Amino acid sequence: MNKSIYFSIALVSLILGLIVAFQFRTTSSIESGVPSGREQELTMEKRQLQKDITQLREEVDDLTAKLEEAGKGSSQATDAFTSELLKIRLYAGLTKVEGPGVEVTLDNLAENARPGGNPNLYFVKDEDLLKIINDLRGAGAEAIAVNNQRILATSEVRLAGNHINVNLTKLTAPYKVTAIGNATTLKSSLEIKGGLVENLSERITVKVEERDNIVIPAFTGELRFDYARSTQRG
Amino acid sequence: MRLKNYQWVFALMGLVLGIMLAFQFRFTREIHRTESVQRVQELSAEVNQMRQNHEALQTQVNNLRAELDNATPLNPVLRDELEKAKVEAGVSELSGPGVEVTLSDSNINLRPGQNPNLYVLHDEDLLKVLNEINAAGAEAVSINGQRLLATTEVRCTGPTIVLNKSKRLAPPFVITAIGNPDTLENSLKMKGGVAEALQVWGIQVSVKKIAQVTVPAYSGGIKFEYAKAAG
Repeated sequence: MNKSIYFSIALVSLILGLIVAFQFRTTSSIESGVPSGREQELTMEKRQLQKDITQLREEVDDLTAKLEEAGKGSSQATDAFTSELLKIRLYAGLTKVEGPGVEVTLDNLAENARPGGNPNLYFVKDEDLLKIINDLRGAGAEAIAVNNQRILATSEVRLAGNHINVNLTKLTAPYKVTAIGNATTLKSSLEIKGGLVENLSERITVKVEERDNIVIPAFTGELRFDYARSTQRG
Repeated sequence: MRLKNYQWVFALMGLVLGIMLAFQFRFTREIHRTESVQRVQELSAEVNQMRQNHEALQTQVNNLRAELDNATPLNPVLRDELEKAKVEAGVSELSGPGVEVTLSDSNINLRPGQNPNLYVLHDEDLLKVLNEINAAGAEAVSINGQRLLATTEVRCTGPTIVLNKSKRLAPPFVITAIGNPDTLENSLKMKGGVAEALQVWGIQVSVKKIAQVTVPAYSGGIKFEYAKAAG
């Protein structure tokens, strides 16, 4: 009897030891484990890098071809230069562009629809436009304008009394924000549940429409750089 | 008596074993949920490789642009036009006088029950600050070394923000802007201005005038898939 107790205790201890050892191994592998959020993050970065690399390769090919052309003679050189200039002007927003996209109309809430309170609450504010523009940019918009004022990297959107200044030009309601890009993506990013349109609709009227062809004018103001100097390092 | 003792020992052993097994089971389940470590390591190595590739290509593009500039005839009007277009497009590195604006999250100690989300920096705060900087005539702007383009979005994702589609930035956010330093500083710090509004929530906005700041070129490819030049 005594012997059998020792035997079973020895057996149980053996199993216990094994389990503890296993347990230890799995815990140490968990420590070096990675939450799946990181993987998602890396995948997202990889996708963007892939896109960037493809675009940069195209840019390299394009510039190489232009350089080659420029080496052939002075008239070809001028052509190559002009075509490069046109490309950069397109990126800068200095060229009129067209393409598919969306038209977002924002307007002050009609007086009879206002639930009361301060009437200023129901006017379109500069912040509303800023948020719409930011959302459109996030959804991949390539060119944006507000009431035909092209939005550049340095454009401001600023409330001044009853109107909004964009590129130092007075605009008044209704504000029509036009954007070129994938029309479906642009529209759904604004209209997503709990998104911007839903939020803004409590105060002002917002309407988003897809369009097959939108024309966005070039920036018409004067480009002046009094402070910035190129470092010639690209 | 003797038999009872022996039963007790077994019951105890069984209990311990059961608990161990249950733990073991839970851990194994968690392991299944964590993505395979190896896969992430591979992915990470791949991304690093691509980053280097990307950087090399970027340098190549910059060199080619400079070469093309030198290879083409010296027409000062056209040259000036290209230079300006490059500044606005964000494809050249620039330097000049300007400001450095540092934004950091609130240093207020929250009392229980207060909504902590109100006291952290949001994308709309950054949007307002950037808009103010633009209105004050900034010529080129970058945040934490990322150049702002006409297509740059600012997205708040947890404690970090995302710019230029996938460039993730962590606080503190340092905005570098080239322009008239006095105008830029005044427009941010004026009474009732954006810095004052953010201070209510404890968000720190510090503006430093600097005689010479550098704003980098956009580091990425630009390509329009939808927008085409119209006559």
